[in-house]
Amino acid sequence: MSFLLPKLTSKKEVDQAIKSVAEKVLVLRFGRDSDAVCLQLDDILAKTAHDLSKMAVIYLVDVNKVPVYTQYFDISYIPSTVFFFNGQHMKVDYGSPDHTKFVGSFKTKQDFIDLIEVIYRGAMRGKLIVRSPIDPNNIPKYDLLYQGI
Amino acid sequence: PGSRRPEHRRETARFWRENRAEAALRERCVVPPEEYECFLRTLERALAEHERREEERIRQMAADIREAERRQRETVQAALQKYCSFFLNCAQLQTEPKLCAGPSACSPPAGPGRDTSYGAEQPGPSGIQTGPDLAWMESGQALTFIGHQETEGNVHTGAKPPWLTEEEDETEQQIGPSYEEFLKQKEKQKLKKLPAERVGANFDHTSQTGDSWLPSFGRVWNHGRRWQSR
Repeated sequence: MSFLLPKLTSKKEVDQAIKSVAEKVLVLRFGRDSDAVCLQLDDILAKTAHDLSKMAVIYLVDVNKVPVYTQYFDISYIPSTVFFFNGQHMKVDYGSPDHTKFVGSFKTKQDFIDLIEVIYRGAMRGKLIVRSPIDPNNIPKYDLLYQGI
Repeated sequence: PGSRRPEHRRETARFWRENRAEAALRERCVVPPEEYECFLRTLERALAEHERREEERIRQMAADIREAERRQRETVQAALQKYCSFFLNCAQLQTEPKLCAGPSACSPPAGPGRDTSYGAEQPGPSGIQTGPDLAWMESGQALTFIGHQETEGNVHTGAKPPWLTEEEDETEQQIGPSYEEFLKQKEKQKLKKLPAERVGANFDHTSQTGDSWLPSFGRVWNHGRRWQSR
């Protein structure tokens, strides 16, 4: 029986989440509910949400409903997950070229839990960018398409 | 050539005087006009030859690159066709959508027979690691591409974040503290116990930001010093 994850359906709602979630990691999953890889990821998010409730708040965002954000975060592949803490965008070095978001799904629930812990602790110590604890082999590979090159 | 000769001699003499070089060497360094002409001609020839060679080299490189791209395209096409027909086979064997597709969704033909036993009741994805790790990455992670995001600015270029653009008007102006305010006060007490140096500890929730305010993001693509990224 999975925890139903709350959804944000407009720019205003996303703004509200970013500005109001305090002292916890805000996790925004950008994707589509019906997409295969999104389903995998959403399952992991749903199953870990309760255990992580002291450290993180998770929302699902449909890329079609918030084009402003899809463009701002340069989301070309879904799912893409973005992290915030107290209104500040948190960057993570996964060993992939893009530190502004996590692309794809996690291999295990533990990978996601470890990542949230690292982000939370880093944020508590004032770090704006942290290094991912996930084994680089478990990070999905994708081609980052450089525009105009 | 005639006019050059006396000037050349004059300049050589001057150079010798200024640098106090050995006078005996000077005569040897003066270049006779015939030699100069010969030099000019050979220079032109050599230059033309060099340019021709460079052009040929570049043309060859371009042809090589075109050839390589063509081969790449063909390989991708072939692979894509195989993948598509393969995927269609897998899709036909599945009767209902599953929450945890995992590697078993597109494993080799021997695999799909097991699919029916993995219903929607299966616990987390960690329970379905039947195939090799590579399968998880390749078939399970075929990421959906939703297109280039063509805009003036984005998070990488340091554009203004959407949550800081004040467009809509705020609703409900209540006067005086409410029950929510009281709860918030209690939360703030807890806040004091949190480390003071955490990210966003000084986040002023009440301040209004003007239109031209910008947070400092950026530096992702390595322009500027590292400290500037804060």
